[in-house]
Amino acid sequence: MDLAEFRAGLDRWLDDNAAALAPDRSASHGLDEQMAHLSLVKRASYDAGWMRWGWPERVGGLGGSTLLRAYLGEALTARDLVEPGIYSMTEVLAPTMIDYAPPALAVEMVPRLLRGDETWCQGFSEPGTGSNLASLSCRAVRDGDGWRVTGQKVWTSLAQYAQRCVLLTRSGTPESAHRGITALFVDMDTPGITVRPIETMHGAPEFCEVFLDDVAVPLDRTLGDEGQGWAVAMDLLPYERSTSLWHRGAYLYRRLERVLAAAPPGALTPEQVGEVFQQVYAFRARSLATQHRLAGGERLGPETSLDKILLATAEQAVYDLVGDGLTDEVLLGDDPAGGRWRSEMLYARAATIYGGSAEIQRNIVARRLLDLGADA
Amino acid sequence: MDAEERELFAKSLGRATAQHTGEALDAALDELGWADALAADPRAAVAGLFEHQGAANATSSALDLVLAAGLGLDPSRAGLAVVVPPLGRWSPPGEAGSSVRGLGTAALARRAGAVVVSPTAGGAGAAAVVVAPDGLDLRTVGGIDPALGLVEVAGGGLAPASRPTLADGAWPAAVAAGQRALAHELVGASRTMLDLAREHALERVQFGRPIAAFQAVRHRLAEALVAVEAADAALGAAWDDGTPFSAAVAKAVAGRSARTVARHAQQVLAGIGFTTEHPLHRYVRRALVLDALLGGAHSLTRRLGEDLLAGRSLPSILPL
Repeated sequence: MDLAEFRAGLDRWLDDNAAALAPDRSASHGLDEQMAHLSLVKRASYDAGWMRWGWPERVGGLGGSTLLRAYLGEALTARDLVEPGIYSMTEVLAPTMIDYAPPALAVEMVPRLLRGDETWCQGFSEPGTGSNLASLSCRAVRDGDGWRVTGQKVWTSLAQYAQRCVLLTRSGTPESAHRGITALFVDMDTPGITVRPIETMHGAPEFCEVFLDDVAVPLDRTLGDEGQGWAVAMDLLPYERSTSLWHRGAYLYRRLERVLAAAPPGALTPEQVGEVFQQVYAFRARSLATQHRLAGGERLGPETSLDKILLATAEQAVYDLVGDGLTDEVLLGDDPAGGRWRSEMLYARAATIYGGSAEIQRNIVARRLLDLGADA
Repeated sequence: MDAEERELFAKSLGRATAQHTGEALDAALDELGWADALAADPRAAVAGLFEHQGAANATSSALDLVLAAGLGLDPSRAGLAVVVPPLGRWSPPGEAGSSVRGLGTAALARRAGAVVVSPTAGGAGAAAVVVAPDGLDLRTVGGIDPALGLVEVAGGGLAPASRPTLADGAWPAAVAAGQRALAHELVGASRTMLDLAREHALERVQFGRPIAAFQAVRHRLAEALVAVEAADAALGAAWDDGTPFSAAVAKAVAGRSARTVARHAQQVLAGIGFTTEHPLHRYVRRALVLDALLGGAHSLTRRLGEDLLAGRSLPSILPL
């Protein structure tokens, strides 16, 4: 299956099934509805084969280039069938699971994620550990043939829906920094786990606090070796900054098109429209090259921070345009369309915060790409 | 050219632009067979030369060859200069083939002929005349970047020596080719400005440590790299895509990026970067003029915005 064949077949399938795959936006389309609809779309795409292309055959995939995955997510988000953030969790978590999970575990679990049977979450940040990930303190202690885990995570996206969690724990001494971290694959229904969604300013409780109180995790749920958790995290983060960003960029382009169509004449100046378009375009050009590097088998690294910076900047620029072009809808609208613009506009404020803040991305660029040495 | 040949050729161009500028660089390019390379592999020739030319702050008249090739003129006419529109503009600089106002490279006066393109009546197409340079009013421009050696071109009552036929879309294709070349030159200049600022930040010690250790400085340099790589990516997409639309976007992004890099590099280089003892000022000057040639970030962006607002939809762009 090459990309052209995939694109043509998928587009035809999406056209034919447009009605069945379209979300109902007539009333409240909150996070519960979005998650339910995401499962429906993933299930249908999996059963029709599309969701399986670009993933290795040993985990239920059909093989082929990762570009096929990139195009599937682009098509689903650009057609406004799924919200890119919740869709792309698959792109963030599945590749690392394939790289680091014991093979039998990956074979058992990855198809459930692809098929939309399950939601997974990513337990990285903690109350005392945001940008400084290596300082995390959620404790994992070896106990017989397993681990006992106690601690707290925060900003854990979709934890309230998740059946599993890729959890970073402190297995070494508190001073062991990045050397003493172990990654675990944890069932969210294990006794001792409590999830509390966090109300956010954009109105969707997408992030959660996760409390872990003496949670038992079997040894065969260790991702990589004991103490290899930092490598797992470093493997995962470039995925968080590659194909999932391509999907979000595709969605952003469609929303930019919508705001141009919907803004009253004179509300937007040509200068601002032209510049925002160029920002989205330049991101897409950058991300396009990244998708091809990934498909060519290159190992992605710190250079994906440039993709992340470009997208976060472009996203805020697009929604600044929304604020100027659709002022009444965003500020006063109480209908579903107005609520959606408002929620997205507010959520864009977080684009330079989540997934490694704008400052952390620039630190990575300075240290790793410009080789400026350690900072003061 | 295959990948290895492209790399070798780019290295030769790097040496040529580091050692020569102006007429001497034109001669070096002749020796390297650059005009043949432009015909055989335009991307390798243009990217290789203009990026290095920008990085070295060198000048050449290669833009004339790029524009002539873009217009589809016979390669045997390679001794032609092409008059470009005034700063910030990209419409044909001539009027009815009888008068012209625009700019040219330093080589214009030495060329056998100068190509003046005018819009045809109705404005849809374009027609070219070739005139003798000594029939034009030429003024060597000092301005903000005297080393660039641009000439201001004006003339009325032109007496054409010949009237080459232009194919449909020849002028937009030539503008696009020129915009890609200038965007490469801007990216090259931007990379050097960033390198200069980076070296200074690592060497300059204050408060007992290199200023590169301070986050305020690091983030300026990071911002500059983001800008350069955005322009580089847009330019790569412009070659793959090949349309006037993508060339104009790349030119605008490269122009804005170069200004961003210049601003951060100037601030990081501080006092020394404000003197003529340091090379930065030459790049700052060059970037401002290159940005304005064949449409600047400002004018191209406004036109793009006008078109998008009028169409109220977006084109399909950059497929996987």
